[in-house]
Amino acid sequence: MSDMTTKTAVPRKRSRRSSYNTGHPIVPWLYLLPHAIFFLGFIIFPVFYGLYISMHRWDPLLESQPFVGLEFYANLFKAGTPQSEFFWKTFINTAIFTVVSVPLLVGTSITLAVLLFKPIFGRAFFRSIFFMPGILSVSVMGILWKWLFENQSGLVNIILTEYLHLPGIPFLTTEGWAWVPIVLGTVWWTIGFNMTLYLAAMNNISKAIYEAAELDGATAFQQFRFITWPNLSSTTLFVVVTTVLGSFQLFGQPQLITGGGPVRSTQSVIMYITEEAFSNNQFSSAAAMAFMFGLIMLIFTAFQFWLQTRELRGSKK
Amino acid sequence: MTTQPQLPQPTSRKRRVPREIPRFVVLALLALLFLAPIYWMLSTSFKPESDTISLPIQWWPKNFTLQNYTEIFNSPDGNIGRWTLNSVFTSLSYTLLHLLFSVLAAYPLARMRFPGRDAWFWFVISSMMVPGIVTLIPSYIMMINLNWIDSYHALIWPGVSGAFGVFLLRQFFMSIPGELEEAAVLDGANSWQILWRVIVPLSVPVLVTLAVFAFMGSWNNYVWPLFVVHGDLQTLPVGITSFSSRYTTDYGKLMAGTAIASIPVLVAYLIGQRYLEQGLSAGGSKE
Repeated sequence: MSDMTTKTAVPRKRSRRSSYNTGHPIVPWLYLLPHAIFFLGFIIFPVFYGLYISMHRWDPLLESQPFVGLEFYANLFKAGTPQSEFFWKTFINTAIFTVVSVPLLVGTSITLAVLLFKPIFGRAFFRSIFFMPGILSVSVMGILWKWLFENQSGLVNIILTEYLHLPGIPFLTTEGWAWVPIVLGTVWWTIGFNMTLYLAAMNNISKAIYEAAELDGATAFQQFRFITWPNLSSTTLFVVVTTVLGSFQLFGQPQLITGGGPVRSTQSVIMYITEEAFSNNQFSSAAAMAFMFGLIMLIFTAFQFWLQTRELRGSKK
Repeated sequence: MTTQPQLPQPTSRKRRVPREIPRFVVLALLALLFLAPIYWMLSTSFKPESDTISLPIQWWPKNFTLQNYTEIFNSPDGNIGRWTLNSVFTSLSYTLLHLLFSVLAAYPLARMRFPGRDAWFWFVISSMMVPGIVTLIPSYIMMINLNWIDSYHALIWPGVSGAFGVFLLRQFFMSIPGELEEAAVLDGANSWQILWRVIVPLSVPVLVTLAVFAFMGSWNNYVWPLFVVHGDLQTLPVGITSFSSRYTTDYGKLMAGTAIASIPVLVAYLIGQRYLEQGLSAGGSKE
């Protein structure tokens, strides 16, 4: 959010000078109306409706929906309920995925950006290649990476066994290994977006600093360590926040690649919430979990923005 | 660029060429790794079933066939032609509506003065903080109550008023010089005419960016269509996943399906490539 404030602050003054109120004071609201109807109806209302559902026992077969208060929230903290067991198990799965994938996603995208930043033959072509996987649907990506990592016939296992003469790895059905296709597939799928953000930010660093450093005999690594990296700190924090939020919402990759298995070891929170709603028909319980999870995400976002502002304040001193 | 660095250019250029080679090799290898999955998808889709797992690895299909494509189009397990039409129809409708609503809403927020303007803008923007999972279940129940389950309505309407379009267009509209608007006012134009004859024609690049983002987002949407539509009404990316559970061993057909599901977004990407990367850069970089 904070980068939006800085962006809007400057042009707002300009628009005040040039803005017109042509006609009746209701005119601006008439322009806003079509968007506002669907915004309030389908984006704001569901938030409050979700809160209502989570505090009532919502059953499609029942006429009335009795009020149960915070019962479904309390279930998440009561030992012995399947909700508490699986919600936190899948929460930890999602957290592990986030902890493993975020450094990989950020590290590889900044590496690619550094490799592609200085002019090189075929630069535009390379950029398109690295960007391209990101435009595919998660279902295409998931089916494709499942095929690559099939236990017997997948390309990776064929290369392992027939060409490198190593034992094959039943990736899709082994705890631990099942994360490999999910994490690698996600890196492949999402790297282009972050790389593009980094390339844009690197364009904003003054070329004169690099020229001066080169004259002083700084190595490529020193240039990265002392010029590129510190100048990218705000972009890195932006990328980290969006990547963490994206990783928290993990759903399609494990659903399609491993089905959440073996024994729920790759099931994500969102997969469990949808299972509770659409397979177990426990809509109220699922709504409560969604709110609880949304709250945890919000706390993380707030914490990351706190870190971001602290770092920015610190770098100014 | 001063004259100073130009002086040693002949020697430095000679040194720079071999220095670039390792970087080029690394990039070329990475590019091969990145392309390999897509190549393997296409390659598998043109192989008969018996060849998909044959040894040694057939990088190029030995018995090239279009059978997988013809068979999935005539499959009794799912109507891939219908799914394609569903996806095209819903993605285009969604894109047009999202563009129209966003243009109409961004215009007064960027170019008019009225009480509550900034409050409303921040209210809309702050909705981007709400994670999708929070609204999934209540929205699904709303679809039941509206009798929209298994209808195009459920695929199109709930997302058209997202905040991103309003944000992107407002930022761009504000950068348009006020003099153009003043001139139009002097010529007797009202706000509606200013919007469509001055603001919108000047905003074509950002409108294309938003259209490509919206189209790709809608085309690739997975979680929502997975639950609100079934059978013949499924969208293509969701439909092919039902193939995935049926053809667990016939990867030739499955890869043909994923190839078909990828072509429209690849085309959208190629059309909007430059705009898309520019738009993304503008969204993330800080001045």
